Amino acid sequence: MVEQICEKRRKKEWLRLLRSGDHKAFAEFIDKYKETVFLCCRRLGLREDEAEDVASETFLAAYKAIGRYSGRSELSTWLWSIAYRQGVNYLRKNRRQWQLEAEPEEQIGGSKGQGPAAVVQSKETEQIVWEAVERLPRLWAMAVILHYREEKNIADIAKIMQIKENTVKTYLFRGRDKLKQVLAAAFEEDVDGGRQIK
Amino acid sequence: MVADKLNEDRFDEMLGQSLRRHSEPVPADFTDKMLRQIKEAGEQEILARVVLQERLSLAGCIVFGVLAAFGVTVFPGRVGGILRGVADGLKERGGALVDGIGQSIPMETIRSEWQLYIILALVLVLAVCIFVDMLVGDRLRTA
Repeated sequence: MVEQICEKRRKKEWLRLLRSGDHKAFAEFIDKYKETVFLCCRRLGLREDEAEDVASETFLAAYKAIGRYSGRSELSTWLWSIAYRQGVNYLRKNRRQWQLEAEPEEQIGGSKGQGPAAVVQSKETEQIVWEAVERLPRLWAMAVILHYREEKNIADIAKIMQIKENTVKTYLFRGRDKLKQVLAAAFEEDVDGGRQIK
Repeated sequence: MVADKLNEDRFDEMLGQSLRRHSEPVPADFTDKMLRQIKEAGEQEILARVVLQERLSLAGCIVFGVLAAFGVTVFPGRVGGILRGVADGLKERGGALVDGIGQSIPMETIRSEWQLYIILALVLVLAVCIFVDMLVGDRLRTA
């Protein structure tokens, strides 16, 4: 209980420093959330150099707007919204919005002809799952990651992705369904091939 | 085992756990690079603010000049009357002020205590310098 109160106070103080433009607090903020921002950029289908540029733009925008952060939504939700918007704007500027709807292998090429199990030979469960998520259409994958990895609720996901809650539910339902099919095939083939899934 | 993993109840749990275990690679020096960019952005913002102030004062001078020229050209009689009125008022009040100072500080006193008045004058000059530096010093230094 005491630890919880201390933690809450520490977080409040950190937020205050962050809002006041403290560089040390912002360095901590970057360290804490850089992985999340890169995850968002790459899931939108940005290349390495593009992902780094958009991640930088995201943190710069966050630095400029942090003074206006009201604390109504979680800090991570707030940052996800900025990162998602920056990523989509980048795609729009480069006339690549179509990427969001397309299946990733259609753009990348190469792995299209391979079955799921061939792609994910003898890997641990999380790697198999991750690669299956990467093969989903971008928007489905984004909804799945936000819900299952970041533990965001439907309303927050709708806010981040700037879509209706029903659309989020559809993406989640379809994404989950497709994942189940892909994973079933992947796990079956692993078992058939005599490999042990950890 | 497969059936267990894909069991309706356990699927969501397995999915969440697997996704949370994934770590996204980030360039090693990203935080340092970001902090440098933020510092540069801050400096550029200050510079942009100074440039904006300069432009506003320049625009103010131009607008004031244009308005004055317009007034003098279109209503020469009225502007002349207003300016004469202001000048007369200043002359009258200024004269009264100088008379008052002259009466309160007789020349004899200044002659006898000239060192004190030199020190006071130096303090006044210093105060004016500090005041000017406070108002426009930053702009001069940034330029």
